[in-house]
Amino acid sequence: MAGVASSSRQRSKIAPYLMILPALAYLAVFFVVPFFSLARTSLSSSGGSVYLPTLTFDWNFANFVDAFKLYQDPILRSFGYAAAATVLCMLLAFPLAYVIAFKAGRFKNLILGLVILPFFVTFLIRTIAWKTILADEGWVVSALGAIGLLPEEGRLLSTSWAVIGGLTYNWIIFMILPLYVSLEKIDPRLLEASRDLYSGGTRSFRKVIFPLALPGLLAGSLLVFIPAVGDFINADYLGSTQTTMIGNVIQKQFLVVKDYPAAAALSLGLMGLILVGVLMYTRALGTEDLV
Amino acid sequence: MSHEIDPRLLSRLAANRTSRRRFIGGSAATAAAAILGSSFLAACGSDSSSSGSSSTQDDGGPASGTLRVSNWPLYMADGFIAGFQTASGLTVDYKEDFNDNEQWFAKVKEPLSRKQDIGADLVVPTEFMAARVKGLGWLNEISDAGVPNRKNLREDLLSSKVDEGRKFTAPYMTGMVGLAYNRAATGRDITTIDDLWDPAFKGRVSLFSDVQDGLGMIMLSQGNSPEDPTTDSITQAVNLVREQKDKGQIRRFTGNDYADDLAAGNIAVAQAYSGDVVQLQADNPDLQFIVPESGGDWFIDTMVIPYTTQNQKAAEAWIDYVYDRANYAKLVAFTQFVPALSDMTDELAKVDPASAENPLINPSPEVQANLKSWAALTDEQTLEFNTLYAAVTGG
Repeated sequence: MAGVASSSRQRSKIAPYLMILPALAYLAVFFVVPFFSLARTSLSSSGGSVYLPTLTFDWNFANFVDAFKLYQDPILRSFGYAAAATVLCMLLAFPLAYVIAFKAGRFKNLILGLVILPFFVTFLIRTIAWKTILADEGWVVSALGAIGLLPEEGRLLSTSWAVIGGLTYNWIIFMILPLYVSLEKIDPRLLEASRDLYSGGTRSFRKVIFPLALPGLLAGSLLVFIPAVGDFINADYLGSTQTTMIGNVIQKQFLVVKDYPAAAALSLGLMGLILVGVLMYTRALGTEDLV
Repeated sequence: MSHEIDPRLLSRLAANRTSRRRFIGGSAATAAAAILGSSFLAACGSDSSSSGSSSTQDDGGPASGTLRVSNWPLYMADGFIAGFQTASGLTVDYKEDFNDNEQWFAKVKEPLSRKQDIGADLVVPTEFMAARVKGLGWLNEISDAGVPNRKNLREDLLSSKVDEGRKFTAPYMTGMVGLAYNRAATGRDITTIDDLWDPAFKGRVSLFSDVQDGLGMIMLSQGNSPEDPTTDSITQAVNLVREQKDKGQIRRFTGNDYADDLAAGNIAVAQAYSGDVVQLQADNPDLQFIVPESGGDWFIDTMVIPYTTQNQKAAEAWIDYVYDRANYAKLVAFTQFVPALSDMTDELAKVDPASAENPLINPSPEVQANLKSWAALTDEQTLEFNTLYAAVTGG
């Protein structure tokens, strides 16, 4: 009996590793190797022929310093826009998720479906559609102009508001769904208990619902903030020359200027900054489970 | 419901626990291997030069097989490809996947440098890009025997500063780079580059993000010429653009995508290509195109045959077919750009009389005199100018 037990123990030791092997292999090939290749490029200098430069790896940390000195503005702007978009997403998604989770009753699935429906259309088309909606001669701008709510440029397109709006719209689904899941999981008996203990609506919300929704809020804000920082499509289509984000800069460096060490340094640096920010944020919110 | 965990499960979990130290150690080893490995892999990749099997028939017979063409969008007339297939017996795999010169180059330079097939036997880059690719030795010569209709080319296009005798490049379509404006939005006619900087149009002006198309006319307005560009003259133009951008005068830097904004009224004055405006005028007669007083420049899109082509004869047959005036007239009637062939008026009149008389398709000699072509730039110059301009457009 001991023999059987030990051989099954042997098998079970390897079994978990075998199960994650495909995922590990995928990550290794498509993430780890490119990541270290990028790291290597960021620490290289380029020389030789202009279009097929040879990169020599020489621990050139100056790439990072130069890139960050030169592109401070787009970096700060990207973090700013992404933060604004995240906050807006939170403010818009929370009531919606709340209504779906608690008040929708038998229409829950229908409303969820309707919320998800626009996202079947591809990202790019949705962004371009906004160009028509926010056009200078369009009804939105005219209406806002009539009540005096337009930004100082007198238009909506090609302003930072359009970019933030685009970012919010494109990623709000990633805030709605995790929030909904968190709220859905709240045991209604907890709310009953809170009412039994003489808590009114707002108190119940502050003490019971909001803390329990925090994991969803954390997950949602990460899912919105991180891609939003690196976005370049919204700034390209909805922005102006004053709203370039770091994503646009990196794209230009890679494709037009072809300064690969600088572009790699910017990419890695951005990754590092986001990582630090995210770690501080998750520490602050103090939640251990993300779902 | 019992919440007890099976003790056997617990012991198994304990036995399999990977410590954080072991995990990090493992990934560090992987990383080290990856850094060294990636350079090893790259070396492996460049050694294996898989030759796209060249099936160029030297037997003197007619072309046969398939031809793969990669062209810009909206650059082909309906029925043209079918006509070519019938006339030549070839099959054409036509893709409109050429959207931007630099992005195309970024995509194909690795495979081309290793002589790997890029999926096309004939491509249509703009002349400066064709010159770059030719300089890198990646183009096949276009034989005179394969393209007898080459003599139909416009006189000024028979040779070029970047390609003496047009051995490697075959002009496909040319156009004027100038200014387009929405007469209803501007309220007046636009005639000079200074009109671009009119404060009345603040935030409603767009410039090209491409160095040659964007800076050419600006340099001319400052008394310099793209026929003889220097670091100083480029810097002067870039500084003017930067100054206007900081003032908020320029809304966007565009590629081909200024047309929507112009039509929608978001942009009042844009740097534009003549053919696009002709197409837009059909729906919006308020749109006008002018070559600025100080001058504009030509752009020339050229057909080239990459040296990895799998059907040289078919590519040449295509070029020859395009250069037949009757066929070419159909292309011009659709794209509305300036023909690369000479004496097109009669053929155009047969296909589309309006085109024949349109000054944007058939510009007068005075207008033509005001259009310059860029000099052939060295690789270092291209990189330097691109970097200078990208600092304004992308930062």
